[in-house]
Amino acid sequence: MTVRSKDVGLFEAAINVLKDFRAVWRVFTKTLYYLFRGKREKGEIARQMFHVGNESLFFMCITMAFIGAIITFQTGLQSKKLLPDFSLMGATYLKLLVRDLAASVGALPLATRVGAGIAAEIGSMVVTDQVDALRMCAADPIDYLVVPRFIACVIMGTVILVIGGFVAYGAGMLVAFVSFDVNPHTFNNLMYLNLGDLVLGFLKCLVYGAAIAIVSAQRGLATFGGSEGVGWATTEAVVGSCFAIIVLNLIISTVGYFLVPGVGPM
Amino acid sequence: MLPPLIRLENIHKAFDDAPVLRGVDVDVPESCIYALIGMGAVGKSVLLKIVAGLIAPEKGRVFIHDEDITEMGHLELAEVRKKIGMLFQNYALFDKNVYENIAFPLRRLFDLSEEEIQERVAERLARVALPGTEERIPQSMSGGQKKRIGVARATIAKPPIVLYDEPTAGLDPVTSQKIYDLVREEQRATGATVMVISSDVAGVLTIADRVGMLHDGKLVFDGTADEARKSTIPEVRQFVHGLTEGPL
Amino acid sequence: MSAAPAKTPFWLLLPAKIGAAILVMAKQVGGLSILAGKILRRLTPGQIDRHELFRNMNRMGVRSVPIIAATAAFTGGIMVIQAAPFVEQVQATSFVGWAATFTTIRELGPLLIGLIFNGRVGANNTAELGTMKVTDQIDALRALAIDPIAYLVVPRCLAMVSMMVLLCVIGDAIAIGGAMLTADMLLDVDPRVFWASAVERLEPWDFWVGLIKSGLFGIMIALTSCYYGLQTKGGAPGVGRSVNASVVAAAAGIFIMDYFSTFILD
Repeated sequence: MTVRSKDVGLFEAAINVLKDFRAVWRVFTKTLYYLFRGKREKGEIARQMFHVGNESLFFMCITMAFIGAIITFQTGLQSKKLLPDFSLMGATYLKLLVRDLAASVGALPLATRVGAGIAAEIGSMVVTDQVDALRMCAADPIDYLVVPRFIACVIMGTVILVIGGFVAYGAGMLVAFVSFDVNPHTFNNLMYLNLGDLVLGFLKCLVYGAAIAIVSAQRGLATFGGSEGVGWATTEAVVGSCFAIIVLNLIISTVGYFLVPGVGPM
Repeated sequence: MLPPLIRLENIHKAFDDAPVLRGVDVDVPESCIYALIGMGAVGKSVLLKIVAGLIAPEKGRVFIHDEDITEMGHLELAEVRKKIGMLFQNYALFDKNVYENIAFPLRRLFDLSEEEIQERVAERLARVALPGTEERIPQSMSGGQKKRIGVARATIAKPPIVLYDEPTAGLDPVTSQKIYDLVREEQRATGATVMVISSDVAGVLTIADRVGMLHDGKLVFDGTADEARKSTIPEVRQFVHGLTEGPL
Repeated sequence: MSAAPAKTPFWLLLPAKIGAAILVMAKQVGGLSILAGKILRRLTPGQIDRHELFRNMNRMGVRSVPIIAATAAFTGGIMVIQAAPFVEQVQATSFVGWAATFTTIRELGPLLIGLIFNGRVGANNTAELGTMKVTDQIDALRALAIDPIAYLVVPRCLAMVSMMVLLCVIGDAIAIGGAMLTADMLLDVDPRVFWASAVERLEPWDFWVGLIKSGLFGIMIALTSCYYGLQTKGGAPGVGRSVNASVVAAAAGIFIMDYFSTFILD
């Protein structure tokens, strides 16, 4: 994009965001088209799934463990000042984790890891003309490069975010026990959780996985300017994916607030 | 005379407000080797990518077989590209072995059995004088070898149009001439329409039927190889004969 | 990195992988410490290139304001939406202001802005230094008797740390604004009530914690991105690899550091 070299005002920045959104949207619609009409390469999706999972699982487990620990600790500190009653801490934490945090907070490091990888890979293919070569070989880059990564990100992203959620829950339980003397039995309380939370959380995982793949692939395909351009594309992919995740979170959460409200069992 | 197979009309293209092409008209007749020459960074590669539909011109039209490709959506363009093979300047070979690289267009375009693919890849590799290299990784091969693999990939689907972007850049004179001969023999065998870009004028004139010279965003010369050698246009004279004195 | 030799029995694969990861981490921590030492030794005011410093501050700080502002505004809104069911259940509208500001200032602000800053500025910095490294520009500086650490690294690090802290202040303010607006629309909490609740319960220490954290994250991002940039090997693809590694390492570093600083700065 042209943003990189020029000083831009707020108005121009907004225009650029709209342009970027349009470009991402175009990649998304093309991806959907080729999802049903494209020519599948045997084993490519499995390879990409392994790639996504293998490169991010260890990193995500560590990150989510710390995130879980931070959240519980911080919540504990806050509630200590208000009403020092920790009996519902686990139930509240679990509901928040399922409804939002596991997906939305976990998606940010996931975007950092997976999004940067996708953009760097596709970007370096662009600057070495390989993407044009694909076009000349009757292989649309969206069909050949983006669709397998899209499917892999949606499936493996969800799997990893769910695993990360469990890790964060375990870490939270541990911190609650060590720092606030909350018995794991007390902590492990499904009282507040309902089906709506599960649906909402799961939907978020799927949407974030898709967003990471599409935004990063679009940034990768828009790469120009040699190896430095690849560096830029990587940066923009990480920031763009994180931004997309936050905007989508706002949308889904607002809709979710009105459609699946309420605390407590269904 | 047959109508031109590739026809460019008044092509304009600028990058970051710096005009590269400023109204280029080119006609490439069918079954002809058209050499596009010119100084570095004059927009030859851009023009070739415009013909392939990889870059959209800002102004002007591109006709292939009387179809205007500048108006097409990406699905129609993909259909047109199936008729075009292209060799890229920096090879643009994929991170696969030689066999998979050359077989790639076949796999995407046709539903062939593995035996047929093997047969055709082996025939191509023999044609480019690299038999038995199927299992090698292109990254480990020399520049000339990579170019020849690129030629094999560009021609395996027998496209009626083949575009070569600097097929000999960075190669020694002997290897260069071999590649030019290969381009010529290929064209004679298939009757394809060929566009070649080169800054190596002496070499490319040995095989070209027609020559166009791009200078300062315009086509300043269009004619046969002999006419190019005898041309009195100062830019063409200087470039074709490699003189230091002149307008370039 | 071929972590495990080919003959490792499969039950040793996981421990071997973990061990290799720990070795790599130890090496990186060591490298980061050495770089930090080198930077500290050159931190005398006379040695710093003013022009480089201001140029980097503008590039890294000023131009990040739009993305940080947008992210912060959305995050403030999301925070309230997520808390809304609980607030409604316990009728705790008078606590919303305090809870939102407390969370933003102490935790969410530094963490989120750190992640975005890492993706945008840190990655770009690695790409730039990495490109200079693989094109031998850093050796060229040495040949001209210019110390690359003093000329390139120190101004960048100073710019990153100071800009991170400033962006955090801006981001916090905007996030709180977003939270206030959402609370007003969604929960009918009057902005004045929101503000009063925040002013009444917040302590100066909360602000300091936020500032210290953002400073620490800034140091983390600065060191990591410079370290990976200077370590780049293997031409253009190497730049992509180090950008990727740098973003991921800094993100993990931010979470780990956040955990310990939350713990220590109670």
